[in-house]
Amino acid sequence: MAFNFNWSPLIADTDRVREMLTSSLNKSPKPPIIVDDIIVNELNLGSTPPELEILEVGDLAEDKFRGIFKMSYTGDAYLTLKTRVQANPLNTYLSTKPSFASPQPLAASSGLTIPLQITLSDIRLSGFVILVFSKQKGITLVFRNDPLESLKVSSTFDSIPFVRDYLQKTIESQLRVLFMEDLPAIIHRLSLRMFSPEHQSAEAQDPSKANTDERAPIDPFASSAEQPTDSFGQPLEGGTLFSHDAPSETYASFSQKNLLRLAALTESQRTLSLFTPGMRDTVYRAWASSADRNDMSNGISTPLHRPTLSRIQSTLGSHSAWSSSAPSQASETPSVHSRPSLASFPSAPTVYSLGSTASRSRAGRKRKNRVVNLRKEKVEGDVSDMASVSSGYPESANPSATGSTEASLHEDAAAVAREGEINTPPRSPKKKVGFQQSSDTIRLAPDSRRPVTPRNSTLVPPPDDDDQTPRASMYLPIPDEQKTPQKPEPRPSRQRLSRNQTLPDRVKPPELPRSASDLSLSSLPFSIDGSSGGILEQAWMMKMANEIARKVAEEKVRRPAWRSDEEEGFGRRGGAEAPPAYVS
Amino acid sequence: MLEFMDYVLTAFHAQSRWNRDNSYASLTATAANLLDFPVPNGIRLHVSALSSANFASSYTLGSRGVVDGSLSYLYTSLGLSIPSRSSALHLGNLVQGYRHLAALQQPENLRLNEILRNGKKEERRDALLYGRLYLPTSSLEALYLRRISATRLLRLACVSDGTLPNGGSILAVLQNDFGKYSTEYLYSTDSSLIGARGLYNFGYDPRSPDKPSGRTPAHPWDHQGGRLSAGAEAYFSPMNKSGGISTGLRFTTLPIHTGFPYTMTLTINPLMGNLSSSYAVKAGPNLAFCSRFDFNVYSYESDVMIGMELWQRQQPSTEVSWANALLRSDWKRAEADPNGVLKARVDNHGKVGLLWECRVKELLVSLGAGFDLKKRERMLGNVGVEPASDPPDAIIFGAYSLQGSRKQIVAECGYNLASK
Repeated sequence: MAFNFNWSPLIADTDRVREMLTSSLNKSPKPPIIVDDIIVNELNLGSTPPELEILEVGDLAEDKFRGIFKMSYTGDAYLTLKTRVQANPLNTYLSTKPSFASPQPLAASSGLTIPLQITLSDIRLSGFVILVFSKQKGITLVFRNDPLESLKVSSTFDSIPFVRDYLQKTIESQLRVLFMEDLPAIIHRLSLRMFSPEHQSAEAQDPSKANTDERAPIDPFASSAEQPTDSFGQPLEGGTLFSHDAPSETYASFSQKNLLRLAALTESQRTLSLFTPGMRDTVYRAWASSADRNDMSNGISTPLHRPTLSRIQSTLGSHSAWSSSAPSQASETPSVHSRPSLASFPSAPTVYSLGSTASRSRAGRKRKNRVVNLRKEKVEGDVSDMASVSSGYPESANPSATGSTEASLHEDAAAVAREGEINTPPRSPKKKVGFQQSSDTIRLAPDSRRPVTPRNSTLVPPPDDDDQTPRASMYLPIPDEQKTPQKPEPRPSRQRLSRNQTLPDRVKPPELPRSASDLSLSSLPFSIDGSSGGILEQAWMMKMANEIARKVAEEKVRRPAWRSDEEEGFGRRGGAEAPPAYVS
Repeated sequence: MLEFMDYVLTAFHAQSRWNRDNSYASLTATAANLLDFPVPNGIRLHVSALSSANFASSYTLGSRGVVDGSLSYLYTSLGLSIPSRSSALHLGNLVQGYRHLAALQQPENLRLNEILRNGKKEERRDALLYGRLYLPTSSLEALYLRRISATRLLRLACVSDGTLPNGGSILAVLQNDFGKYSTEYLYSTDSSLIGARGLYNFGYDPRSPDKPSGRTPAHPWDHQGGRLSAGAEAYFSPMNKSGGISTGLRFTTLPIHTGFPYTMTLTINPLMGNLSSSYAVKAGPNLAFCSRFDFNVYSYESDVMIGMELWQRQQPSTEVSWANALLRSDWKRAEADPNGVLKARVDNHGKVGLLWECRVKELLVSLGAGFDLKKRERMLGNVGVEPASDPPDAIIFGAYSLQGSRKQIVAECGYNLASK
């Protein structure tokens, strides 16, 4: 598992980093040999980013993330410092001693200050780093071991071997201390400044805003230098916290506006509001296609889908804005196994790809149907509540992460299968109904947030359940009830029902065209009757259900053991955070 | 102004006939007195007493930090007969200004320090013990002086502080004064510093009983009205592998010199390329000027500092004014006791220092101020007030006032208005 860094924006804004480094270097009391302030002359982050490898993801939630990475850096970054040093050793020695017992030389301790310039280059880092990201508390980056392998120190005293060796030794030891002790504090402060508006000082904001104004391809988080991993969890919160209005086009593959809309959706879910904004330029998980799975590079797939953006973004990584952006920024060349912890699981692509290919083969309607069919709540959960999607993410990781990320990833990967599995087995004999039911059941999660008709009240999951994605515990007792009332109903009535039940869900199919055609948001909840192509839609839905069921069955065969785990996990979680959509 | 303990120490040296000026370390003492006077920092109250001829104590209370203070005790085996009443102290002894060099003496010829012990003539071996405890910082200073022989003085200075490496350090200095020349050897346990100093006085040799005024100059450099001294020092620390050397030259006019007394010094640090030259002149009985120029041949850094000192003498009282009128102008008049001293210094960075030391009704007051003219928005203000009061008026140590006349209380306090 590795990351792909978009290193160039991080290089662009080093002025603030330089100032921060200068102030932090001068804050601590300097040894007496350094007479003047230490000024950072030049800071160049180099052209190659560090290589990160995820070892373990310990905690993944909407507003927090914790992971262990293996980092290695062999780049050409360099740092130049400028200061003045005292050349008279007697002076520095006597200046720190009490004058009572000092020999008090007449003139032998007079000082001579020499300007000094030091360049640190050829920095080789390799170590394990623990990254903890929390929305409230910022980012904490801690090195488990001493990461500094080697360093080249060149200074104005290079012609004197004694001084050169002394400088090399001293600076190396100081840098080790810096990495282990000071760097986490600096990064923490920097992250607090970035993430929390209340922590942000006016000065910090103005330069960042100025920067965003200057450069078109803005990465709003570019000014956090040396934070490649920040983009991991940043986009989620950062988009809502920052007040940048211009949606970045090139680097940030998520749109600020969409993030705001996602936030609005989240809020609407929580407040039972009927307002659900449509998302433009987004990729829904349901649209992931198998073809896209092969070019897993989000960087590739996302722009690929950009032109046909409205609904046909069907890359796995891009089913949620954040997950798409994060991998696009941070992930390396896609590979199936490299993806899982982020966005999807091995089985998921297949599931999604089915839908997406189907959607691609047809226009408009197909996509709409697919969304409706596959995971109404889930997609919604993804789209409407990006936070919860990501929360679903870590939540899936939470119960399943028992230590080895691989296992958890696999578990997560199978979660999708499990979800479909759990949803579909009752459906398999009656695919259509089951599908409906599954769609209904999937709708159940958001139903808890919405006004629900009395008929479906039984279907409502426990009110304290903030899990917005369908789960086995929610749905297992329900299906029968769900099935029977709904089965005999004609489609339109069912649709109506589902409309009542699952406003957001029903909203989905009309929503898609809306987002594509930029319909007004106000028309969202009320255009249910406008669902077009009813018969085709139903047929397509049935086909999708069949395919899903098949895939799920395959997954189930492959991983039968997980079901127990997952049920266990769900039993544990009860009313805990929402697992991801794919974890039923 | 000298603290009371330093004043006692000076008295000890004077009474035991040890010439402190005949040392390389005090080559630039005049310039240092006129230019590097300490401006008091914060409020500080000194209460000191010479409890007996052999014992002195002093307590200080200051305002650095929240509160800081120290207690110090001093014991000498040589009974000191010095005035310790604040009203009786001669301000000239307390305030160090332009220094007139004492005449060189031949220590071996001194018979004043011999005593009879067990029927044999022995030289006095005076000792002095001094200890000071700083209370908030819990650091201890100790000093031990011992006059080993007429020409040797051993000095041990120790500092014990938890914050120092090895808990403290000891400095041992062995000073030899042979009149014509003097040497010092020192050793410090802190980083094993070894040092040596030497000073050689040209011209008058106290070992030969020539009178300078009547002697014809033997060579152009034999300036009888003045004394040319040259010295050097060297330090080496095997632990730090560091060291330093310096050399210096001084020419001072002796009191028989007609004209304004002046002192010129030049010190060189060849390793660091530092040159420092100073010129001090006593323009009148109450006025002295000094200027110092520092230059570094490697880094071309230079500094200039100018200072002056103005003494305020007591005006003769009206009762004796008729007698003053009878004095002829060419008669040598004894200088009246000084009432106050004003010192000022300016350097080329715009830093100004002012110090006013006076006696106010049994109190010795010292007010100081330091300014930085380049920083318009911030001017450091230091005001130091040192009052010394008579025992009956002393509030703090009333017990001392009950005892004999030797027991005096010299209370000094410094007050600082630093607006940093």
